[in-house]
Amino acid sequence: MKKNGPPWFSNLIYPLMKLHQLLRIFFCIVLMATVGSKHAFAQSPLEKTITINLNNVPLKQALDQLTAASGVRFTYNEAVAASNVKITINAKGQSLRQVLDVALAAYPYSFTELDQDVLIRYDATKPKKLGADPAAKPATGKFTISGTITSKQSGETMIGATVRVANGAQGTSSNGYGFYSLTLPAGDHQLIVSAIGQKTVMIPISLTADKKLNIALEDNAQELQTVTITATPQGGRDLKSPQMGVEKLSIKEINDIPVLLGEHDVIKTIQLLPGIKSAGEGSGGFYVRGGATDQNLLLLDEATVYNASHLLGFFSTFNSDAIKNVSIYKGDMPAQYGGRLSSVIDIKMNDGNNQQFGVSGGIGLIAARLNVEGPIQKGKSSFLISARRTYADVFLKFAKDTTINRSQLYFYDINAKANYILGDKDRLYVSGYFGKDVLSADNVNGINWGNTTATLRWNHIFNNRFFSNTSFIYSNYDYEIKLKQDVNNYNITSRIHDWNFKEDMQYDIGGDHTLSFGLNSVYHTIKPGEISATGNSGIVSQKLETRYALDNAAYVSDTWKATDRFSLTYGLRLSAFSVLGAGTFYNVNSDGDITDFKHYNSGQVVKTYLNPEPRVAAAFQLNDISSVKASYARNAQNLHLISNSTPGSPTDKWVASTNLIKPELADQFSIGYYRDLAEHKYEFTVETYYKLLQNQVDYRNGANIFTNQPIETQLLYGKGRAYGAEFLIKKKTGRLTGWVSYTLSKSERLIDGINDNQWYNARQDRTHDLAVVGIYKLNEKWTLSANFVFYTGDAVTYPSGKYQIDGTNYYLYTSRNGSRLPAYNRLDLGATKQLKKTKKYSSELTFSLYNAFGNRNAYRIFFRDNKDDPNRTEAVKTTLFTYVPSITYNFKF
Amino acid sequence: MHTIRFFAFLLLLGLFSSCEKAIDLKLDNSAPQYVIEGTLSGEAGSAKVLISQSKKFTDDNSFIGVSGARVSIESDGNVYQFDATGSGVYQNTALKGLPGHTYSLTVKVNDKTYTSVSTMPQPVALDSIYVVDDEFSTNKDKTKQRLATVTYKDPTDVQNYYRFIQYIDGVKEKTVFVDEDEFTNGQTVNSRLNFNNDNDAPSREIRTGKQLTVEMECIDKPVYKYFYSLTNGASGDGNNAAPSNPMSNITGGALGYFSAYSITRKTITVPAN
Repeated sequence: MKKNGPPWFSNLIYPLMKLHQLLRIFFCIVLMATVGSKHAFAQSPLEKTITINLNNVPLKQALDQLTAASGVRFTYNEAVAASNVKITINAKGQSLRQVLDVALAAYPYSFTELDQDVLIRYDATKPKKLGADPAAKPATGKFTISGTITSKQSGETMIGATVRVANGAQGTSSNGYGFYSLTLPAGDHQLIVSAIGQKTVMIPISLTADKKLNIALEDNAQELQTVTITATPQGGRDLKSPQMGVEKLSIKEINDIPVLLGEHDVIKTIQLLPGIKSAGEGSGGFYVRGGATDQNLLLLDEATVYNASHLLGFFSTFNSDAIKNVSIYKGDMPAQYGGRLSSVIDIKMNDGNNQQFGVSGGIGLIAARLNVEGPIQKGKSSFLISARRTYADVFLKFAKDTTINRSQLYFYDINAKANYILGDKDRLYVSGYFGKDVLSADNVNGINWGNTTATLRWNHIFNNRFFSNTSFIYSNYDYEIKLKQDVNNYNITSRIHDWNFKEDMQYDIGGDHTLSFGLNSVYHTIKPGEISATGNSGIVSQKLETRYALDNAAYVSDTWKATDRFSLTYGLRLSAFSVLGAGTFYNVNSDGDITDFKHYNSGQVVKTYLNPEPRVAAAFQLNDISSVKASYARNAQNLHLISNSTPGSPTDKWVASTNLIKPELADQFSIGYYRDLAEHKYEFTVETYYKLLQNQVDYRNGANIFTNQPIETQLLYGKGRAYGAEFLIKKKTGRLTGWVSYTLSKSERLIDGINDNQWYNARQDRTHDLAVVGIYKLNEKWTLSANFVFYTGDAVTYPSGKYQIDGTNYYLYTSRNGSRLPAYNRLDLGATKQLKKTKKYSSELTFSLYNAFGNRNAYRIFFRDNKDDPNRTEAVKTTLFTYVPSITYNFKF
Repeated sequence: MHTIRFFAFLLLLGLFSSCEKAIDLKLDNSAPQYVIEGTLSGEAGSAKVLISQSKKFTDDNSFIGVSGARVSIESDGNVYQFDATGSGVYQNTALKGLPGHTYSLTVKVNDKTYTSVSTMPQPVALDSIYVVDDEFSTNKDKTKQRLATVTYKDPTDVQNYYRFIQYIDGVKEKTVFVDEDEFTNGQTVNSRLNFNNDNDAPSREIRTGKQLTVEMECIDKPVYKYFYSLTNGASGDGNNAAPSNPMSNITGGALGYFSAYSITRKTITVPAN
């Protein structure tokens, strides 16, 4: 390439050029979508003009004829259908609104828009003002309606389904087990129940006593023709709920987004959301609101997953076939969660279809997947087994080079789950995960690592207001390195495992208050490392001291719907982390040298850290379509990941708090504005946050992670601050769906002994981070998708000079993380073709192209003597992926 | 343990060795800083101090010595003055170090004074050296890379720190080999000197018939820490998430180190494999 300006100028302009190209493409897509389906959603149904004459026609018949004339569908209940009211219409070129206004004027029926349908409902308050709060009716007490919301097709419980009173302020959503409870005044109500990807249903109820109502929703996913009338849950992001900093994804959304090598991935997808940033290619980690990768709590069916990456981070441990739902809390965690500063990623596995047996799977370029599920007893119990394995290593066998053909490089994982409905009030779930990565050369040298989790849960409904879940959880992460050099064999193992008991309860006190409270107790065992050696190396087999800790917490939190517009959640989590013996604990001076130590016996408490963690969140609804929210949360973290490699590695160390390593603390303040646009087709969100961090841990300069010295001798402590603004605009319905997310942020650290004790950028400090995601349903056969990401390069440390020691060049550094990797940008394209679809069998082909521009993004930059001219030094950029195509075949029967 | 680190590094390198390209980067330039390399062993002529300055990244790699400095070493009440013998080279041909003694270096240059202290450890004998095939790495011509292995008996009652210097036909290998006895205390140690011939230089390859010399220096803890942090933090290899200047044992703000070490060496002719 010819250079016309100084080199930095071309560096600067290059991403901008790409951005320009992208915007053009994106706008083309948007334009196509808008023009292509104009008739479908350009207009409110009530604004359609019609010409029709009806004389004294029964209501239901009249509505059918209006549908025929206008194309607008009506939704109503049995009471309306059976009505003997007869109406007369003489309309010529009038809007449907005017027509209905006149026709229904004399009758106790009102109408409202429900997405692209029109809802007709019985309205006793007419001719008073429409939309009056049913609560305004003289009440004769309050009653509670509760039950479980499930999918009709699969029997899967629906998480986060909303239950609202039509035109009223009351509403709730189902919890992690599909349970809901809503207290309403006595009388008649219309309940609107909706969930992403499900048909919205309207259920008339007459409340004269507490009532149990289980609701089954119908799947609406594959009906492309009717995609425009998919009833959207009004405000997919709950405008009323005080919960901030939360993102929810259903697996359907995840599956439409193009990914590297066609492996759909929860962790890669959430990195397209505001405030959640990829830790870079070749890393399974991610940063949330300026926090480090270890400040994210990953839960799979409530079990902690300590290392969420396969193949050194290219894939996550979460097999999307087995996942139902993902919730991400960006620091404003509800009180039931704790233990990490930056986020909670709460992943729930599918329960398994309890209606019918099904098999699905896929074959991609590098991995094959199989998922089997079905009822054990129809409608009562079900199981699910989902497995996948990469088979790239099979091809290695064909290589001529013996080093390569005797190498192993694969991962596999298995998710299994079963559940049993014991009766109306009790349900049991057993679920587990097992995964392993194997990476070895020459059969003898290698590393393998993996997670194991198991969860046993018992849901119990005490009564229609009181729900409880009891969990027993096991988590394990371990790795093993095998190494053979000459006559020496080494074996290094490390492990962290937890036994965890959790009790969570939800109590709907009355219409205004919902209480959640619970207990959590975890026993951690950390084996930092054990080395066994045979041969002549002189390395003595030894074991680093095992560490034990008891991590207890109790919480209580109340959500108070103070008025129709204002609600408040306030709560407290009290965590008590006890460092236990047996073991030797040390004191270390400012140079990292041990000054004294003390031995503790088994079970003896070395130190208990008690941390009250208040959580407060408030929401004020400005009007039907917008609200503001504010929240404050404190989080404490007692497990710390010690890593000094750039991409993160399976051998990074988990370390519990000790007498010297204090719990990390974060105080996060945030304010947000939420608005639904264009009849709830779009949602717009702005959230800003300011976060203060205490007791942050970093390595000393020249620290050694492979030491049998206490790790405290290698560490330094300090504080941090992070702040930013996150913007999201999301289109939720129509042929084109997707979002644009943008984050402007800053993250800094101040650690004694680093950067001359001055504030410096955290590595994850990224000024700009943009993601554009578009999914376009072209027709019944094809779905197209694209995503584009652009972000400021990581803060890194570049040399500011060089010098020679013993004839070799070394580099001089002045400020920590004072430089930047080049800005990153990438466009991915995807297309899914539906091949065959019958009731029994369906299959599809998914194509994807990762990094479609082939942009050479910097994976890392290093410095060396020029190979051709050793009298010069040069900076070298390493790139991992350019143009990675893939094809995956998926089937289901 | 450095064998294990090296292995993990190779594994990552193999996976990620995709595409490398030299790029232009705008780097900050810090003002030149003094670099002091002071050495002293029991051998004649080993008392030597090199003074140079750091340069801009974009400058060439010829580092010119700093003249006009006043250099001295003090030990047991005696002060030994050093003479300038070349561009930035200062020597005292009479001074020889003794194990167990502490030496204080003073360098005065341009009205600034830099000092350092180093204690010469008791020598440990290098028993033998031999050559083995590496399990993974190959030379440019696809033959197995061969590596030197050193054998010595680590003393039990003290902490020992070692630095090895490898010469192939008199050409010094630029890789820094340092080790300590935290996992090998009191044992007979066979330690492989792993290096990555990143520029495929034939002169760095250990081949049949070449002369292989290994010097084993027993160094004190601050010098070990210096070389450990130098090679991990300042080599520019991009593997360290937080590169930094090494922990120098020189006070006053200069780069470099001062090491009083005891030395033993072995030479063999590389046998056919």
